[in-house]
Amino acid sequence: MKLLKINVVIAVFFGLLMNMGCRTPETTYHFAEGVDLSFIKKVAVLPLDNLTNDKFASDAVRQLVVSELLLTNIVDVALPGDTVAALDKAGVRSVSAISAEKIKEVGNSLKVQAVILGSVEKYGEMRSGSFTAPEVAITLMMADTASGSILWSVTKTAVGDSFMARHFGARSDTLSELTLKVVRDCIRTLGQY
Amino acid sequence: MSILYNKKDPGMLKNYREKQRFLSFRFVILIALLFVSGGCASNNIKHYLRPNADVNAVRRIAVLPIESLTQDQYAGEKVRRVVITELLSRGVDVIEPGEVTNFLRTLNKPLWSLSREDIKKLGETLNVDAVMMGSVEAYAISSGLTVSYPEVSVNFRLVETSTGAILWSAVNTSGGASFWTRHFGTENISLSETARRVVKEAVDTLPVSYKTNS
Repeated sequence: MKLLKINVVIAVFFGLLMNMGCRTPETTYHFAEGVDLSFIKKVAVLPLDNLTNDKFASDAVRQLVVSELLLTNIVDVALPGDTVAALDKAGVRSVSAISAEKIKEVGNSLKVQAVILGSVEKYGEMRSGSFTAPEVAITLMMADTASGSILWSVTKTAVGDSFMARHFGARSDTLSELTLKVVRDCIRTLGQY
Repeated sequence: MSILYNKKDPGMLKNYREKQRFLSFRFVILIALLFVSGGCASNNIKHYLRPNADVNAVRRIAVLPIESLTQDQYAGEKVRRVVITELLSRGVDVIEPGEVTNFLRTLNKPLWSLSREDIKKLGETLNVDAVMMGSVEAYAISSGLTVSYPEVSVNFRLVETSTGAILWSAVNTSGGASFWTRHFGTENISLSETARRVVKEAVDTLPVSYKTNS
């Protein structure tokens, strides 16, 4: 009995220790009040702003956003090439400076009810003490092509290590896995509407 | 429970201690199992299949050059070869990659800017029902917390040439080092083997109806 009690105490201690060492990635999202999103049948994913040192970060995340949006079966997605052509036609040089008028123009050209825009803030390895771990941070927004107003926005940051990985060599996420998880979690919030 | 045995009875005490040892042993085994299972990867590829699409109509496919979004500029081309092989092995009619490359040269446009009109034109010129396009997001040996491992991440899309609609889409990524590599230093599979596995798993999600062994 004494031995069992000791084991239980050790287990509780480890549980507490692990809990303290765990970071809970947060997904912060917001829907515009009083807007019904059910009218959105097709969206276009615009090129994302790349705020990282990895020149491929925004393209990699954009590809995942397209795939994950399709997976929801809620909306159809315009071909990325069509989106680029529509932006060219509208004379949009930089997506970070796109105006409401240009969003309307792109929407009309692609026949989409909304466009997804956003940025990649972190994409790579971060150093934490003696360890390195992948870190991904993205922000996505959905803008109505009829009015240019923001209907939904989401932001998420995640780090791919864990207490168990750092101290006991348990499996940790790779950069690709973490990126997929972050994008999936962000897109999943659309279902909260 | 302590009142259930008589301290003066050595036999009963021995039985009780043995029972406790057994319980403790089971407890330790349970913790170890949880630990090991927590360190194992599970792969479940989610793929998209367009609802109500006539996927059976697709008989001939052109595999476009795969975009390389990695530091390895040849990653896309390496993955493209594997995709072609995987499709051919499933009996899918894939046109010669050189024909696709020649057509794209005449278009003189980067891959990421191919519009529906371009894809339609490609379909008519090369007589294909769909094009396979995609990107490689990771193709390298990455460093983990304790070991290095091959990392490959791919994203594929099958686009119908007549409508420009995305019929199928799949994303797959290789996990990090396995439990045995991390803890016991067993040999990891190579980068090209990982790439082949990742592509195969992704192409496996294509509907069975495509797999025409004609």
